[in-house]
Amino acid sequence: MDLLEFARGPALQWAAYILVAGSIWRIVGILLLKEKSDFSEPRKRAGLGSALKVVYTRSFTAPPFAKATMYPKMMAYVQHVGLFAVVFLFVPHIMFFKGFLGFEWPGLPNSVIYVFGVAAVVASLALLIRRVTSPVLRLISNFDDYFSGFVAILPIATGLLIPVRLGIRYEDLLAIHILSVVLFMIWLPFGKLGHVFLVFITRGTTGIAFERRGAKT
Amino acid sequence: MTTVDGRHKLDREAERLAYKPPEVRHDKQGDMDSNERIDKAMWNFLKNFNTQTASYLDGCLHCGMCADACHFHVRTDDPQYTPIWKIELFKRTYKRNVGPFAFFYRLLGLKRKVTIEDLEEWQHLIYDSCTVCGRCSLVCPMGIDIAGLVSMARHGMFKAGLIPHELHEVAKRAAETGTPLGITPDKFEDRVDWMADEHDVEIPMDVDKADVLAVMSSIEIQKYPQSIAATAKILNAAGESWTFRTDGFEATNFGLLSGNPEWQKTASMKLIDAAVKIGAKTLVLPECGHAYMALRWMGANMYGKPLPFKVLHISEYLADALNTGKITVKKVDKSVTYHDPCQVSRRGGATQAARDVIRHLGVDFREMEYGGDYNWCCGGGGGVVTITRADPLRHRVFKLKMDQVESTEADELLSSCANCRQSFDDCQEHFGWDYTMGSLMEMVAENLEEGQS
Amino acid sequence: MKKTPTVGEILQAKGVSRRGFLKYCATTASILALPPSMIPRIAEAIENARRPSVIWLSFQECTGCTESLTRSASPTVEGLIFDAISLDYHHTLQAAAGDQAEAARHAAMEENDGSYLVLVDGSIPLANPGYSTIAGISNVDMLKETVAGAAAVVSIGSCAAFGGIPGADPNPTGAVSVMDIVTDKPVVNVPGCPPIPMVMTAVLTQFLTFGTLPDLDKHGRPMAFYGKTIHDRCYRRPFYEQGRFAETFDDEGAKAGWCLYKLGCKGPITYNACATTKWNSGTSFPIESGHPCLGCSEPNFWDKGGFYEPLSTGKFDSGERLAGAAAAGVALGVAAAAAGRRKQSKFAKEG
Repeated sequence: MDLLEFARGPALQWAAYILVAGSIWRIVGILLLKEKSDFSEPRKRAGLGSALKVVYTRSFTAPPFAKATMYPKMMAYVQHVGLFAVVFLFVPHIMFFKGFLGFEWPGLPNSVIYVFGVAAVVASLALLIRRVTSPVLRLISNFDDYFSGFVAILPIATGLLIPVRLGIRYEDLLAIHILSVVLFMIWLPFGKLGHVFLVFITRGTTGIAFERRGAKT
Repeated sequence: MTTVDGRHKLDREAERLAYKPPEVRHDKQGDMDSNERIDKAMWNFLKNFNTQTASYLDGCLHCGMCADACHFHVRTDDPQYTPIWKIELFKRTYKRNVGPFAFFYRLLGLKRKVTIEDLEEWQHLIYDSCTVCGRCSLVCPMGIDIAGLVSMARHGMFKAGLIPHELHEVAKRAAETGTPLGITPDKFEDRVDWMADEHDVEIPMDVDKADVLAVMSSIEIQKYPQSIAATAKILNAAGESWTFRTDGFEATNFGLLSGNPEWQKTASMKLIDAAVKIGAKTLVLPECGHAYMALRWMGANMYGKPLPFKVLHISEYLADALNTGKITVKKVDKSVTYHDPCQVSRRGGATQAARDVIRHLGVDFREMEYGGDYNWCCGGGGGVVTITRADPLRHRVFKLKMDQVESTEADELLSSCANCRQSFDDCQEHFGWDYTMGSLMEMVAENLEEGQS
Repeated sequence: MKKTPTVGEILQAKGVSRRGFLKYCATTASILALPPSMIPRIAEAIENARRPSVIWLSFQECTGCTESLTRSASPTVEGLIFDAISLDYHHTLQAAAGDQAEAARHAAMEENDGSYLVLVDGSIPLANPGYSTIAGISNVDMLKETVAGAAAVVSIGSCAAFGGIPGADPNPTGAVSVMDIVTDKPVVNVPGCPPIPMVMTAVLTQFLTFGTLPDLDKHGRPMAFYGKTIHDRCYRRPFYEQGRFAETFDDEGAKAGWCLYKLGCKGPITYNACATTKWNSGTSFPIESGHPCLGCSEPNFWDKGGFYEPLSTGKFDSGERLAGAAAAGVALGVAAAAAGRRKQSKFAKEG
């Protein structure tokens, strides 16, 4: 079995098992902690709607904080939008998803995807530089922050290498790219990349708790 | 090689002159050993953990945006005042003990155990540099209620005997005597009589049955006693059947501020029991921020079931009364700006009430830039104004308020929290500032339309 | 022993003009990426070459490679060159049979000891040598016996080069490639299912001209022909970049000649000369005819995912294992939460 076969086969399969098991473990481990009942008289009824509302609205920074947080916020958006475009709108990736979802959707031309990919990598590097230069972030950052950043950039970078080639064979670059995605999948449930699913719980519970009070969210 | 100067013998034994850095106060209560303190700190924090709080500690991205919202960080640029950093020790302990991967964190030693030095160092982060104002909670992209987590951290610090002295003493006094500043029921009754006399107003006391139970905060009773008279004038004008009660009058809750849930419950239950006793339909809270948070949003949970009466902050009561025409006010020809108390507006959800009242007062209302729900904290809430070693820091952050108020160029500055008022007064004196904070309730009381009793 | 005529004499006898011959030499030089100065050397070498002895062994094969190499609508120079070599043993093409055929093989081996070429097509079964025998001799024995005195071995087609379709999962005959058995002689792999005729003759021409074998890649394939992927030389590449793909075999995209990635083209990982040299004297190649590349010159191409499954499809197994993983996650989460809650209540009780 060559590297590509290993990457596409057993590596990807086991990464999927670990991703699913780890994510569910973390979510269930949090969801099954004590329930907190609140007997205070609510100002407003707050249920799933409030949770979803804040999941959406908290994606945008409120005006009073916007100026101070503009730079990291913009960079994070470029990174996330770039990642989204690259992962979900690049035709070979769409075909990958079709392989287990059973359906596909339209993609974007490769050159557009490359622009998004480069933007995402540049934004990620900008944020990494910020992390090591800002006094606040230097104090609060730990291994998870740096490793998660590395693990997130690697698939985009290795993916961009494929058209660039640099004298390496396509199938080897493809194997490396898939293995970097395998690493991403394995790490995701355990570090801060898990915010992918945790964000719904954190924003959602805050939404319910504060909408209930009629307080600002 | 120089020869020794015999005129000035080198005295090797005398104490050297050297700069001694000021001693950092690490207040401690009780005589537990370090390990016990650590244990108590950690587990009293984790004791009440649920899905919401667990997800908060699991979900932090270390993005640092909370620092940009916190007045303590913004005015000092000191990274240790980053709000989520204040929780750092407790985040570590959560991951080691209660989080979904706790077993592996411990097995592989992935998070350091907290030391007593850590906790001592953190005391001033959790108490001196956090007013639980909640701006950090609003900016966090993950929606983490960081301010709420600081409150929970205080539960741990209290039981570990690691809280600032002043706060501890005041809270202890409140638990033992029912009131933090020495206003016993007798003293309260005295002051009420004095105000009734001085302002020529009827003030019912210890009535057996009434629709409305009114309560006061010690700060008002002590420093701004005219609030008692103003409250009475308003409730009388509204034609309420109301009373003060000597067995339940203290609205402040130092159990909440210091981090002792048992003392918090004791204080709240006094008010709840009094209200239940007189069959009150409404409990009106005074101009106090954390009193609103303690009773309106946390009181029922202390009681263990829904409260059998409505809880209103005085500003909410006034808004209701003015909107329904129960009371009317004369128009006030002034320009006014309003400082929103964090626990009433941003955290409590009653932001609009004050604005309704201001509208009825007919003033030229000038909102501060980023007032309302995003208001800068006065810097004195959460018990900070009680901690003397925090004064320099508190004064530093007050500059934000001065700039914010001054840019409105309003004649008057109003608020609806006596603790904010106390903090503003102290800073006004410190800076020689020309704005004096006034009380929204007092302005209403002073301008009630004639013909109301 | 009869003196065999030179290749040049044979060509002349067959009516190939000097001009035509030199044109062939020029084309060959160009394909082998040799400078024009080499053309006279190639011409001289071929002209004066004694017909080298070539023994062709056919094992587990479909005869497609032979068909590819020998089929021609009209005689081509390549075909004639092939006639010009002394093909001393070839099942499909030889007139002799039985003992006579085997005798011819042995005679060629003895007479040309150390200088004959062995060309092999088809894979060799090892699970039971009896699966494929010739004249009662198993493939593996015949191969070992024949290559003992060979100058070099050329594996023609993917079966001989890598095991091919007999070697595909589950490989019931235990089929292996030539290079798995022959380790002490130079082996050149000319894979493809079938390989391009021009590639075959170019290898022979190089051997005739220089007595050497071409530069090989990591799979033993001549770099000149297997050095670039189909993807990198495909005329439909711009459509790939533009995101224009045929979705089905007869939709508008297919008719417009758009990229066939979505229909399973393995061009990006396939190294061969199809996109440039093409087939049938440059007429066309599979992609140009509207069919995605199968990747037939790559090892194990039969097992590299379905021919009509896009290259980026993962090879996931059934959903059952995934459901198992989910169940494991739930169990671990429940355990973790239970442990956490127990510790919380333990402290609440003891204080």
